[in-house]
Amino acid sequence: MEALQAFFELMRESMPVLLKGAGLTIRLTVVTLPFAVLLGLISCILGMTNIRDFKFISCIMRSISNVYIAIIRGTPVLVQVFFIYFGVTQFLNIKMTAYVAGVICLSLNAGAYLSEIFRGGIQAVNIGQMEAARSLGLPYGNSMIKIILPQAFRIVIPSIVNQFIITLKDTSIISVIGLMELTMQGKQIIARNFRSFEIWIMVGVIYFVMNYALSKVSQYIERRLSVDKGRN
Amino acid sequence: MTKVEIKGLEKKFSKLHVLKGIDLKVEEGEVVCLMGPSGSGKSTLLRCINCLEEATKGEIIVDGQVLTGKKTNINKVRENIGMVFQQFNLFPHLSVIKNIMLAPVDRKKMTKEEAEKKGMELLARVGLADKRDQFPSQLSGGQQQRVAIARSLCMGPDIMLFDEPTSALDPEMVGEVLDVMKELAQEGMTMVIVTHEMGFAREVADRVLFLDGGYIVEQGTPEQIFGNPQNERTKSFLDKVL
Repeated sequence: MEALQAFFELMRESMPVLLKGAGLTIRLTVVTLPFAVLLGLISCILGMTNIRDFKFISCIMRSISNVYIAIIRGTPVLVQVFFIYFGVTQFLNIKMTAYVAGVICLSLNAGAYLSEIFRGGIQAVNIGQMEAARSLGLPYGNSMIKIILPQAFRIVIPSIVNQFIITLKDTSIISVIGLMELTMQGKQIIARNFRSFEIWIMVGVIYFVMNYALSKVSQYIERRLSVDKGRN
Repeated sequence: MTKVEIKGLEKKFSKLHVLKGIDLKVEEGEVVCLMGPSGSGKSTLLRCINCLEEATKGEIIVDGQVLTGKKTNINKVRENIGMVFQQFNLFPHLSVIKNIMLAPVDRKKMTKEEAEKKGMELLARVGLADKRDQFPSQLSGGQQQRVAIARSLCMGPDIMLFDEPTSALDPEMVGEVLDVMKELAQEGMTMVIVTHEMGFAREVADRVLFLDGGYIVEQGTPEQIFGNPQNERTKSFLDKVL
């Protein structure tokens, strides 16, 4: 009973600070995601470029996308953070806040994975859909916008949300360059009072609540946009 | 008037030589059925006529336009060639009427109102006027295929291509689709049909082509092909299927 009381006491003390950290975590994620989606779209379009009369240029564009994805996938986020925050700033002789470095790093990271998710979604739409649209006389672009993308979008929603959740959790890695987000705030509190067990539980629960809410939103969207409307 | 003219058409998929030299003329109002064993190139030949497959060699002329030429606007030509697929390929995220209206409105052939009116006429014609707001997955295979035909017709094509339109259907639904096609043929539509429906071909076709190994090995009226086939390969094929 006393232990429980002590826990709540600690919670009262720590929560404001932790929630402040959580606020920064959310801000970092929310700022990152639009950049990530944009990067993902650009990379996806580059990666799928295949213009008949411009074979060489198409090949270069695909290579850019492939190299970008390979580098991001092939290296740990931690190394990427250090590289951007310490390496790039040193090389270019510029100053960068931890927040900016975090946004850049996480955007590049999620962008690469989203690019592959988008590509997978587009390719998952039955080839017959494109053929049907083209055979009716629709140009490639219109077929893509009116027929393929609406179907692909519904296919990729779960994977996109999954990536969003991963990005939200990856923000904790940015703590290594001193950004005072949720994980860092937890660490700081523990450094003062050595209450590891309780504080990490609180930090974990806050992350869990944020991600659980995100996944619920996803389920709602998914239900609203089911591909085969007739089946619901 | 010649609607489709094919000269020396060859098609290769990397190493696979599917069409090895096809010459074919289809006149206005003619109904041509393509038959042959699987892998003989029937579907590929059909898909070359609206450039879903690019010809490796040879010339394809539709309505006086050289499809194989670099400068031809293939999208424009396709507006006049309807295509019906084995797997229907209706757009699952759109209702029946929206499936039909999409292309005419997108290509600015009609306003929304015009497309809807024509779409409803066509739906009534294929016997599905009451399904206008349903989604494809709510329809049977036969109904889906009839919607697909209506969708193609809404663009006002003067040639219709059918790629095994009844092969994915339950037996009891084959008839309803063939009836729609028969009606189209009687109205004078130029049609090229890949089919295994011998009875249908016999009744409706003006000409039957038998393909094997990438060549047209025999052609003639249905009476000639079914009654008195000359080619050995045609004979053995018909023996097996009839």
